[in-house]
Amino acid sequence: MVSINIYHLYPNHLNLYGDRGNMLALCRRAEWHGFKTNIITVEPGDLIDFKECDLLFMGGGQDSDQKLIAGDLKIRRSDLVAAIDNGMVLFAVCGSYQLLGHYYTAHTGEKFGGLDIIDLYTESGSRRLIGNAVISCPLWKPEKTLVGFENHGGKTYLGPSVKPLGKVLIGFGNNGTDKTEGAVFNNLIGTYLHGSLLPKNPWLTDYLLEKALSYRSQPHQLRELDDSFEQSAHLAAIELAGSKKHERLSTRA
Amino acid sequence: MEKERESDTGGFNNRLFKIKLLTGMILGKGLILLTRLLGRGGTTLPGRAVLKLDPAIPSALAGKLQDGSILITGTNGKTTTAALISGVMKESGLRCIRNQSGSNMSWGVTSALVEASSLTGKPAGECAIMEVDEGAFPGVVQSIKPKGIVVTNVFRDQLDRYGEVDWIRDAIKRGLEYQPEEGFQVLNGDDPSLTGLVAGKNRWTYGLELELPEDRFQNTGRDIKTCPNCNARLDYSRIYYAHLGHFHCPSCNFKRETPDVKLTRKKTAAGGGEVLEIELPDEKITMKSSLAGTYNLYNILAAVTCAVAMSIPSDVIIRSIEEAVPSFGRMEQFNWSGKSITMALIKNPVGANEVLRTILNQSDKISLMVAINDKIADGRDVSWLWDVDFEYFVAKKEGISIILVSGLRAWDMAVRFKYAGISPDSIVVEENTEKALNKILKLTSEGENIIILPTYTAMLEIRKHLNRMGLGKPYWES
Repeated sequence: MVSINIYHLYPNHLNLYGDRGNMLALCRRAEWHGFKTNIITVEPGDLIDFKECDLLFMGGGQDSDQKLIAGDLKIRRSDLVAAIDNGMVLFAVCGSYQLLGHYYTAHTGEKFGGLDIIDLYTESGSRRLIGNAVISCPLWKPEKTLVGFENHGGKTYLGPSVKPLGKVLIGFGNNGTDKTEGAVFNNLIGTYLHGSLLPKNPWLTDYLLEKALSYRSQPHQLRELDDSFEQSAHLAAIELAGSKKHERLSTRA
Repeated sequence: MEKERESDTGGFNNRLFKIKLLTGMILGKGLILLTRLLGRGGTTLPGRAVLKLDPAIPSALAGKLQDGSILITGTNGKTTTAALISGVMKESGLRCIRNQSGSNMSWGVTSALVEASSLTGKPAGECAIMEVDEGAFPGVVQSIKPKGIVVTNVFRDQLDRYGEVDWIRDAIKRGLEYQPEEGFQVLNGDDPSLTGLVAGKNRWTYGLELELPEDRFQNTGRDIKTCPNCNARLDYSRIYYAHLGHFHCPSCNFKRETPDVKLTRKKTAAGGGEVLEIELPDEKITMKSSLAGTYNLYNILAAVTCAVAMSIPSDVIIRSIEEAVPSFGRMEQFNWSGKSITMALIKNPVGANEVLRTILNQSDKISLMVAINDKIADGRDVSWLWDVDFEYFVAKKEGISIILVSGLRAWDMAVRFKYAGISPDSIVVEENTEKALNKILKLTSEGENIIILPTYTAMLEIRKHLNRMGLGKPYWES
């Protein structure tokens, strides 16, 4: 049986907003597609080799946690960059998405250097951007929608060498102004959407799994699964996000 | 407040305020009556209107309470702790004003005060026991000037409203600082995020000193992992649930102190329920309790500690705790044509895991209805469903005959159960809560246990349907 090595980075520190759901979705769907998954959880200081990793997942964290793990990641930076250049799949949500850029500022005004892996930076905004979000994503032709819930104080701006993950249809996205959401660079995807993102957007889960499989071995065509529950949840989320009763919240930082 | 006004701003402003107060009371009471006639709780709109008219009104009303007020805040356990404390107060002969429907923002507190006071602002009670949302807490402390504050715990909840746990902790800290100096404060001594807070002089802590079996739900909801002083990883010699337990920081001196009030023994009582041994600063008391779950041990300790801080005799404390039954929406029991219905509110991962753990330990065969709404009062963000350990629950719980999901986010919950290992064929989806309730009642047979797990607004809806079936009273009458 073909297996996929999924590394879960700092689950004890980056686990806000149902990030566990993203891991569950990756594992369950890999199983349903007939693959074995090896989950390796990584804590600060652990000895790991990114060469063994097919798919790396990093969740969201609070500022205090983010500070703690940033130090650990910086030590591993060159390994990480080599793996990403090589085509390793990386999926990063919220706090860790910010961390992959040049720098980010916390709500206290403190400025932190990021990992400098992708061309983006994050400035803290005066208000948090909170609410249901729907984006249109060009990873597929025709484009598919992704639904999630965003809750971030930082506003992220993309440089010219990265593409956004999608165009904001409902919600704020990267910064609330340029209608972009998330970032794509090689096989790396960063996003502010949680909620959790992968269970309700099974095509994105499958996209990540497919990329992980072809990174390690032969390209695989995943089988069709019955996604009627996920589809219904996806459509219900779009409807709720668009309804007047669900006005977006934007609160103080 | 009244006196200050008189001396500060003179008679004219005082007369003006009296007129405003009267107007506010008429307006507030009228709106309460009106919303009730429309079949609602009347807890939001009246308070909002009164606060708009003059934000000093709740402060003036609370100022007239002979024995002052006690505010209860924290993520989980507010309602039950408030109910237990008011039970103690009633047992000692005091009439309490409460915001018992759980409407715990500043307007909910205001509505409760307006409802319980005469048109001239005279309260129909000696004290107020109010549960207060963590975010609203600093403001309510400033206006109500409570005699006592009880803080239960800080977990991840409603981050869509407040952003981060750190922010919630900071709000609680500010609230504590606003309390008048002569007041007392009761804090959970097993919660590292609270014991680190600098509080007033008259400060009491409580905690568990029990051997409990290992916490299998631990993989989720550990929201505070690092030392609040130096950010190093906290070590624990015992963990009771989530981050509550006996903690110490390996790199600085921060550690759990021996609490003033501690639970030292717990055993199953002969006729059901539990017998608890609690050590107070100068005596040991034993009491029976019918409230299940570790989280209720903390709620009971919070109430007992608050009573001790008020010098209430221990026989009064024991009597009132022994009489306590589950509060509104917290493991409430109903019976309908030979079927037992248990309703337990779920709203965040830690609380939901505790409810699931309690169900695992209790009844045998169950039918399960989970109703998830995402209105403001529930929290707009349903991501927390993924942090609840439904995996462990469905793997361990034998004989779940029906799984029904309902509410605005019924499909999210359906997907959640699917990924927790339930076959989609055995998940029934009915978004409308009334239809869902009828369906589960129809599908279960006599003698079966129905467990309903709703979020806050879903609970209000289901309560309304149950009331129409003649089960329980509307909450504003209970």
